[in-house]
Amino acid sequence: MAPPSPIVTDTLSQSSSPRTADNDLQPFFVLHKASSQRKDKVSTRQGKVRKRNELSLSSSQSTKKLEGSMIEECDHHLFQQLKIEAFGNVWTKTESTIKDVLRDLDASVFNDIQQWVLECFNATALIGELSVAEATRSFPALNNTNLGKLFTALVITRNIEFVDDILTFGELGHFLKSQGCHVAVLSSIEFSVKNGIAGCLKALLREFIAGAIDVADISILASWYREQDRYNKPLVLIINDLERCCGSVLTDFILMLSEWVVKVPIMLIIGVTTTVDNTRNILPSQALESLCLSKFLLGTPAEKMDAIVEAVLVKQCTTFNIGHKVALFLRNFFINQDGTLTSFIRALKVACLLHFSMEPLSVIHGRLAEDQMGKSALSPETMLKYMDELPTDGRNQMVDQTGKSMAQSLSELLTVRKLWSTAVLCLHEAAKYSRVRLLDLFCEVLNPDLYLSRDFDYRVGDEKESRLSSTSDPCQQYSIMQSSTFICQIVRKVRDLPSGRLHQLIKTWEKLTADIAEIHEKLKTFQSSAICEDEKSLRKSSKDISKRNASRVSPYVDKDSRMLISQAVSFIELLVRNYMKPIECMPFHEIFCFKDVEKLQSVLIGDPRSRIQVDLLESYKILRCSCCNKSGNAILPSKHDSSIMYSLAQEHGDLINLHDWFQSFRTIIVQPTTKRKQKTKQPSHGSGDQNEASIQARFCRAVTELQITGLVRMPSKRRPDFVQRIAFGL
Amino acid sequence: MDMEDDLEEEEFEFSRNYFLAKESGSGSSRKKSTHKLTDIDLVDEQELREAASQIEPKHQNEIVTLIDSYRKLYPEWLLALRCGFGLLMYGFGSKKAMIEDFASTTLTEYSVLVINGYLHTINLKQVLIAIAEILLEQVKTRRKVSSRDLPKSQQPLNSQSIEDLLTFMDEVETEDNCFVCVIIHNIDGPGLRDSETQNYLARLAACTHICVVASVDHVNAPLFWDKHNVHTQFKWCWYHVPTFAPYKVEGTFYPPILAHSGANQSVKTATIVLQSLTPNAQSVFKVLAEHQLSHPDEGGMETNDLYSVCRERFLVSSQVTLNSHLTEFKDHELVKIKRHSDGQDCLYIPLAADALRKVLSEIS
Repeated sequence: MAPPSPIVTDTLSQSSSPRTADNDLQPFFVLHKASSQRKDKVSTRQGKVRKRNELSLSSSQSTKKLEGSMIEECDHHLFQQLKIEAFGNVWTKTESTIKDVLRDLDASVFNDIQQWVLECFNATALIGELSVAEATRSFPALNNTNLGKLFTALVITRNIEFVDDILTFGELGHFLKSQGCHVAVLSSIEFSVKNGIAGCLKALLREFIAGAIDVADISILASWYREQDRYNKPLVLIINDLERCCGSVLTDFILMLSEWVVKVPIMLIIGVTTTVDNTRNILPSQALESLCLSKFLLGTPAEKMDAIVEAVLVKQCTTFNIGHKVALFLRNFFINQDGTLTSFIRALKVACLLHFSMEPLSVIHGRLAEDQMGKSALSPETMLKYMDELPTDGRNQMVDQTGKSMAQSLSELLTVRKLWSTAVLCLHEAAKYSRVRLLDLFCEVLNPDLYLSRDFDYRVGDEKESRLSSTSDPCQQYSIMQSSTFICQIVRKVRDLPSGRLHQLIKTWEKLTADIAEIHEKLKTFQSSAICEDEKSLRKSSKDISKRNASRVSPYVDKDSRMLISQAVSFIELLVRNYMKPIECMPFHEIFCFKDVEKLQSVLIGDPRSRIQVDLLESYKILRCSCCNKSGNAILPSKHDSSIMYSLAQEHGDLINLHDWFQSFRTIIVQPTTKRKQKTKQPSHGSGDQNEASIQARFCRAVTELQITGLVRMPSKRRPDFVQRIAFGL
Repeated sequence: MDMEDDLEEEEFEFSRNYFLAKESGSGSSRKKSTHKLTDIDLVDEQELREAASQIEPKHQNEIVTLIDSYRKLYPEWLLALRCGFGLLMYGFGSKKAMIEDFASTTLTEYSVLVINGYLHTINLKQVLIAIAEILLEQVKTRRKVSSRDLPKSQQPLNSQSIEDLLTFMDEVETEDNCFVCVIIHNIDGPGLRDSETQNYLARLAACTHICVVASVDHVNAPLFWDKHNVHTQFKWCWYHVPTFAPYKVEGTFYPPILAHSGANQSVKTATIVLQSLTPNAQSVFKVLAEHQLSHPDEGGMETNDLYSVCRERFLVSSQVTLNSHLTEFKDHELVKIKRHSDGQDCLYIPLAADALRKVLSEIS
């Protein structure tokens, strides 16, 4: 690290220099240009360090130390570079996975839309081709009045927020382009009153025809479309969000397009967040009449969310993981507050960044991700190789670990994670019948507390079993477990499934486990052994079951399906018992797993409103001074002026009388200083008058600072003696 | 769930606080409204400003230690920038010096441009041109072979539209490691507050070779941005870094509250204006002022009345001369016109009685 030098003194000296003072009043200035080479910089800095050393006449020992620190700094730089690469590797992989998942989800709708585009295009093509001269003639070339309609697709997005739709429509645009359409995407911001219809038209022209066009004239588009066989491809305009457009501008725009529809047969694709009926509220009948509407439906955010969780957090679980608390935070944030995929993805990205930034071991992880593209797991040898490459920072962390054993457990960890991921997928398959969301299930299987208690229950259950040699009725075991868990819900639902669906479920399990021999074998053995065991247990406790579980397993269910049920339930049980170990319970999980939920929350969601107030009210906690610390929240004169003022403001209602505020501020800061003065008899700063001026100046500055933070509003003409409080409570 | 309960509780607390404050506020305002700002024995503005420049800072050492402690975060911040995030600093105290220190110690490999958002007028286009110029220069030196596929490089940057500049910055092809870092002090500042500017800044932040470090001071700053801005363009990482350093430059443009809202200022300006006018004009003003002082309940003085009084005292010879005086007064906002309930136009001076008396004593 660079030797710490007090910044404030630096800046004080800087601000006295006229250059910086000038800069402060410039709207903008260049602080510095990029230095050409980093190496130069390091060497000059080294030189500086040396020089300083000579000046301070330090011993050769400390010079050595400093050189050591230089090496460390170089190491640090290398380490930083490694982190950036690691983040890049992991995030690029994750991001592309997310993109693929979303594209796959939307694929069917996109195909439908493309089909629609083609049909519409064929319908317009029937009008016949126009020559360039014909098309650009100023009077409309309408032969058939029925055809003056704009084909319009309303795409219901089922989102509350428009952010995700921007992404979706961007993708749709790419898709249609790749299918050979001319596509323009306009955001709803273009359809504002300020922009007007001319602005919209310019934006439209800019989208279709590359290059700057200053004239808003649709005939330019018409002639462009007729040139170079462009009319062989359909023209599509996508508008993101109907609700956010200004109705009147959009109406004008639609009317204009419909007048030109013969020459410019453009198709509209409009995103609608609410219902189709809403178009009637936004567009007048005149505009609606000129539209020929079709409707398409996109997937809900919850569906997309589950798909993303599955692909990124479960299937790719060896790339990047999150701890239970982080998962819970993300889930609650998505369900309770935000509801958009975009912010979920960004939260993941931030988590990923923080992981690499805070956990030195994580750089191994980046390398792993890089290598894993083709292989399923890494051999201990390659692991060892990576660890040797680690710079000192990382190595120090492992001092007490012999490298080999660690490498061993690392590769073990990866294998176990693979099993975990398959097990979760199997559970999710079963969960689909009870409508348990993967996100919820995911949070639950990550919970270490639940795992530990579950583990305990099993042990108790095992003991009981051996002592009483009772039948291993899974239901009993699940009743010991917390009955409110999602896994329990899933098991209960599986019991009630009709045999057809159960067959289906087991089939999918077979497919899912096909690559993972260990689980697949277990499933097979269950299938074969279930028959005899089931018969045995049936004979033994058929009475019990019918008594206990009258509601669960109906006695009239035929033998075959009962067998299937027990088979499925014991498989789930096995999955939960053997493979559901949360990542946080495994050694070396720190390499892959991000757990610091507080840090994530603070970086992701800044909370200036309450944090700034807390800064002011509890300034002594941040400044860590000895003077204000003693009496907690009492208002001491030694506190920061704005801090005193804001504490005083808490005693007022929504309006603060400036006079009163000033007087109480004055009382607080004046009293003790005069006392001290009397005691020590120090010469005062000047006459009482000057003192008054300084008090007033301090008051003014504190008010200004509060005004900058937006915590008070200045007096209005109507109430010249009052400022208004803005924030009430944190 | 616990978290949800907490949230609800928090929200409930919040609204309760508001209504409590509102209640006590309306009560106290009725009781305490007698106290006026003018009751304070205000010092002269000049003196006030002088005193303000000499305020002894408190906790200087602690502040130095505090700001110094943020230095260990610099590598973390750099990593975030390099990974494509923007940095947003908040917390009480001026963060200007700290951010610039971060830039000049850690961002030496990149060109850094600073925007002082606390100023009232910022020409965004000029800023964008400057950024584009730096980027272009950087690209040229890195690539050695210049101008081959630089888009529109034949067209000078300052004649391009904002759209073109943004497109250029987003699409210019260069190494991954080539960035221009833009520091925006007070991105919530008065000069950048409108949504159009914020949208442009967001698009700037989204450009591939631009990274942004910004600071906010206003508690409601996040309200500027919608989710698109925040998540896909700015990509903020929030860092809470209170410095408690005085808002020296940032506060320069806020008039001190004890100087501007008091009547002093208007008295001064009124006196200066009046002294520059002819004695006759001054006397006309005096007539109006005396009338206003002696009839405080009336809405003002009717123009005809004023004319007759002025004629009696030989101050004006005709309606035309009176009108020319009045125009002069109106231009300087010494006199305003109010329509009386009976339909007549009334003239009045927009000053409180005390202030008006002061003005009269000053000019006589």
